[in-house]
Amino acid sequence: MRARGRRLALIAASGAALIWAVPFAWMAVAALRPGVPPDIASLTPSGPFDLSNFREAWTSGSFPLWYLNTFAMCGGILAVQLVTVSMAGYAFARLQFPGRDWLFSAFLLQLLLIPPLLIVPNLATLVSLHLYDKLLGIMAPYFASAFGVFLMRQTFRSIPRDFEEAAMLDGAGIATLIRHVLLPLARPGLVAFAIVSLTAHWNEFLWPLMAVSSPRNQVLTVGLASFTSGQEAGSAWGVVAAGTVLVAAPLLLLFLAFQRRFVSSFVFSGIK
Amino acid sequence: MTEITRRTALGAAIAIPAAAAMTRTAFAADPVEIDLFFPVPVQGKLADKMKELIDRFNGQQQAVKATAVYTGSYDDTSLKTRAAIKAGKPPGAVIMSANFVREYVINGDVDPFDPIIEKDGKTASDYFSLFWPALKPNAVIDGKVYGIPYQNSTPLMYYNVAAFQDAGLDPDKPPTTWAEWIEAAKKLTKPGGERWGIMFPGTYDYCGWLTSAFVMQNGGQYYNHDYGGEIYYNAPSTQGALAMVDTLVNKAKVMPPGVSDANACTGAFFAGRLGMMLLSTGSLSFVRDNMKQPYKVAFLPKSVRNAAPIGGASLLLPKGNSPERQAAAWTLINWLVSPEIAGEWSRFTGYFSPRKAAYDLPDMQKFMADHPDAKIALDQLKYAVPWFDTFNTVAVRKAMEDQVQAILSAKVTPADAVVAAQKAADDLLRPYVSETALKAVG
Repeated sequence: MRARGRRLALIAASGAALIWAVPFAWMAVAALRPGVPPDIASLTPSGPFDLSNFREAWTSGSFPLWYLNTFAMCGGILAVQLVTVSMAGYAFARLQFPGRDWLFSAFLLQLLLIPPLLIVPNLATLVSLHLYDKLLGIMAPYFASAFGVFLMRQTFRSIPRDFEEAAMLDGAGIATLIRHVLLPLARPGLVAFAIVSLTAHWNEFLWPLMAVSSPRNQVLTVGLASFTSGQEAGSAWGVVAAGTVLVAAPLLLLFLAFQRRFVSSFVFSGIK
Repeated sequence: MTEITRRTALGAAIAIPAAAAMTRTAFAADPVEIDLFFPVPVQGKLADKMKELIDRFNGQQQAVKATAVYTGSYDDTSLKTRAAIKAGKPPGAVIMSANFVREYVINGDVDPFDPIIEKDGKTASDYFSLFWPALKPNAVIDGKVYGIPYQNSTPLMYYNVAAFQDAGLDPDKPPTTWAEWIEAAKKLTKPGGERWGIMFPGTYDYCGWLTSAFVMQNGGQYYNHDYGGEIYYNAPSTQGALAMVDTLVNKAKVMPPGVSDANACTGAFFAGRLGMMLLSTGSLSFVRDNMKQPYKVAFLPKSVRNAAPIGGASLLLPKGNSPERQAAAWTLINWLVSPEIAGEWSRFTGYFSPRKAAYDLPDMQKFMADHPDAKIALDQLKYAVPWFDTFNTVAVRKAMEDQVQAILSAKVTPADAVVAAQKAADDLLRPYVSETALKAVG
């Protein structure tokens, strides 16, 4: 009975994985096909195959610069977020202060706002802070994350108080407590949040497009769109696919490399 | 190649401040720095070409230093421009979808070119006579010039010569009327999707553009060309046009059912599985580069009259720029639409050049002689009609597009479609109408 249940689950998961993998497989196949083949939709074409699309995509844009900017943007956002969400998460999980739960609900309300609504106010803020058209300007609105605070609050709450009490008995101050006891125990939550944050900002298009104008501050998604969006003519799908591979590759490699740790983090943190 | 790109970027980063520093000592005046927002509506390396043009502009004069800023699709460009204006950081100039100009005027987000043209000692209408007259309705609004046409297109009929011969049609005599068109399509169609007679994109934007073409070919106006609050969706000319589309897809079955996009059309055309397609003249280069079989182009077929709506983009002066920045933008715009540059951009992109004099230059005359398809696209301009532009253009356009898409999927009859589209559009236009046309009465 148990074995059959597991087999069914495995089949269902494989089916879902297959559906998820099809666009990636197509992207990989299409990227290797030169020109504009008539059966571009095919997953199993007969060829010819070469790397000309990658060459064209790579030379159509300044990929090294875009990679650098995107790494700086995602890394910068994440670095600040890890500090802010763990501190705020700890405050909401452990500290007692008047209006705490009310404030937490207000915090969560922020998740209901659709980001495009905030484009103009955020831009106006950037202009007054002299951050318009700067990489820091793309990052600034994301330094605090309601989702991250929520996640870390739940993570901290799931850690038994016994650990903290034991550490406090041994004379640990609050700083030591957070650094040596809570954060190591909360690592699955932090890793899970890091993945969500990295993917979201790596893939983001609209806000970087709005916040930055200078080509030297361009990020990957905006750069990719600059040579792949065709409105009036048909698109050269091979080049689009090759460019998309270039944009997605770092994240895909990162996930493959740390796959096991990511999966266990998600299981621990309860995000699935 | 990467290294070169990076080095060029670095070189430019070093050279520009250095040049600026030199200018400062030499002329005691910094160049005015402006940015130009530009969308890339046609595939390919247009972004690179645009940067090359701007570099050339910066190299040729010292007064203005322009930066080309790629801003996504036409819609993204409009979004970014509006947000930038509201945040107090308007770009010096924008290349904007030509049918958005009216909305920018209605919303007061754009400055007219008239004062700056008059400063050069010309009247605005003298200046605009340098461009094809068909471009005027989308650029000159209430007597003032708000848009300078930059890259323009109309729909065009592309057809496969071999398929014509195979179907017993004369490739030198393409169909010129709707009746001939449907007749030819029937002959071209082979069952089981082996070959379709006709395809055209039914996706948003393209759908509305071609629908307006059909309605105007059928004698209609489609919308009020002078006032952004009126559309004529529930009209005999519109209903007849939709009935023609219904016939193509659902009765004669010469066109695949459902909504095809431009890629599906070009894909089928390149594969020899399509006899005729309607696509932008902006696709000329793309088709020329990728179509392996012989093909030709022709005017859109007519019903009551010939009509081909304008598409493409114009240059705008966003509101909120200082007079210095406006003057700098004007220098750049004038350079971009000069006959040489306009002609070069046209040859590179496949768009026709809005500047008439571009076609008098030797390079362009040679190009037109070598490319008869581009010549036909240009000749069709005598039947050009303006591009759909109203208050809340995109939503009002979609009100009709949703109905046309429903016809393509055989979900609604043309008679019901025009009523539904008119009602949806009227609701969308009401806020503007009650503030303008109806307010004037009360």
